[in-house]
Amino acid sequence: MFSKENKLEKFKDAETIIGASIKVKGNFQGQGNIIIEGTLEGSLKTDANVFIGEKARVVANIEARDAVINGEVQGNVKAKNYLAVGESAKIFGDIHYGEISIEKGAVVNGQLLATALDKKTGRGSSTDREDEAEK
Amino acid sequence: MHVYIYDEYLNKSKYNKAINRMEIRLTDLGLNGKIIRLGGIKNIKGAVQNEVRLGAKTIIAVGNNQTVNKIIGAIIDGEMYDDFQKKTLLGIIPIGEDNSIAASFGIKNEEDACNILLARRIEKIDLGLVGKHYFLNQASIPSAGTTIEIDNYSLEIAEKGEVQIINLLSDPKEKINSNPHDGRLELLIRTRKKDQTFLTIRKLKITNPQEKLLIDGIVEIDTPAEIGIMQNKVNVIVGKDRLFE
Repeated sequence: MFSKENKLEKFKDAETIIGASIKVKGNFQGQGNIIIEGTLEGSLKTDANVFIGEKARVVANIEARDAVINGEVQGNVKAKNYLAVGESAKIFGDIHYGEISIEKGAVVNGQLLATALDKKTGRGSSTDREDEAEK
Repeated sequence: MHVYIYDEYLNKSKYNKAINRMEIRLTDLGLNGKIIRLGGIKNIKGAVQNEVRLGAKTIIAVGNNQTVNKIIGAIIDGEMYDDFQKKTLLGIIPIGEDNSIAASFGIKNEEDACNILLARRIEKIDLGLVGKHYFLNQASIPSAGTTIEIDNYSLEIAEKGEVQIINLLSDPKEKINSNPHDGRLELLIRTRKKDQTFLTIRKLKITNPQEKLLIDGIVEIDTPAEIGIMQNKVNVIVGKDRLFE
């Protein structure tokens, strides 16, 4: 699990980094950690983690294990394990998550849908709620 | 048998001292062999392939990046390549400027290179491929206006900077993971805005109508150009201080 604070630390671990000056178009798929600081249009999928930077703009559905979102996302977000939504995040789309944290100031405009995470505790397995509030 | 291939530019008198030092060191180490001077040879391909055919155990490029690439280009597509890969090692003795390939292999200078030849530490190295051209280190192009197509997506870059497609890292200060055995290339984009993009890829197509692609700092190629990689293509004698695992 990672957070906004250790972004630089994660930089070295990321298999893919898309810088702020880069525009990506198409279906972007990876197996390692992905950092997006620029623009992406299409889809974004990885078996590992995704970090969306503060100035990033993503017009795509996102699928990852863990995801940290600080920028703008127009599309659905699916974080199988953990999703962290930072204070500067703007998400326009539905969110599927195992666990979630949303910082004050974040904008989420879509449904929050918890997916079954832990069979023992059942945590997150029955929560379906709509949240169009601006936090 | 060792075959030393001296590049044409070494005929200049300013390189005499370095060549003398190298030849004395090679004699001391018992590494003498046949010398071929490219200055007098028009058919490099024929000359190199003939030496492989005659059973050369080591072919040593004496010169710079261009010398190494000439020798690789002479053998890689030829009928003797199978023999070259199974029986022959490639060594490098750097003399003069533009020796980033030798630096990548941990070879600092001509005397160091002689000691490394004796130690015979061998690594199988991937080769980058752009059209008919091969590269060991990297291909590069200015970033502004460059489009890169990879699998199902493309990258567009508007900012000024540089795009590098790296097989073998040449700068020890560079803090990126690059492995010349893994059958992959590293795509590194740095712009003047100090942002960095990094991807690991197998092939890509690069287009910039205003700029040329520069291979190993010596050959310029027009775009669009397709760039790929061939895994474990050359057996190279390397130093212990090489810039990769």
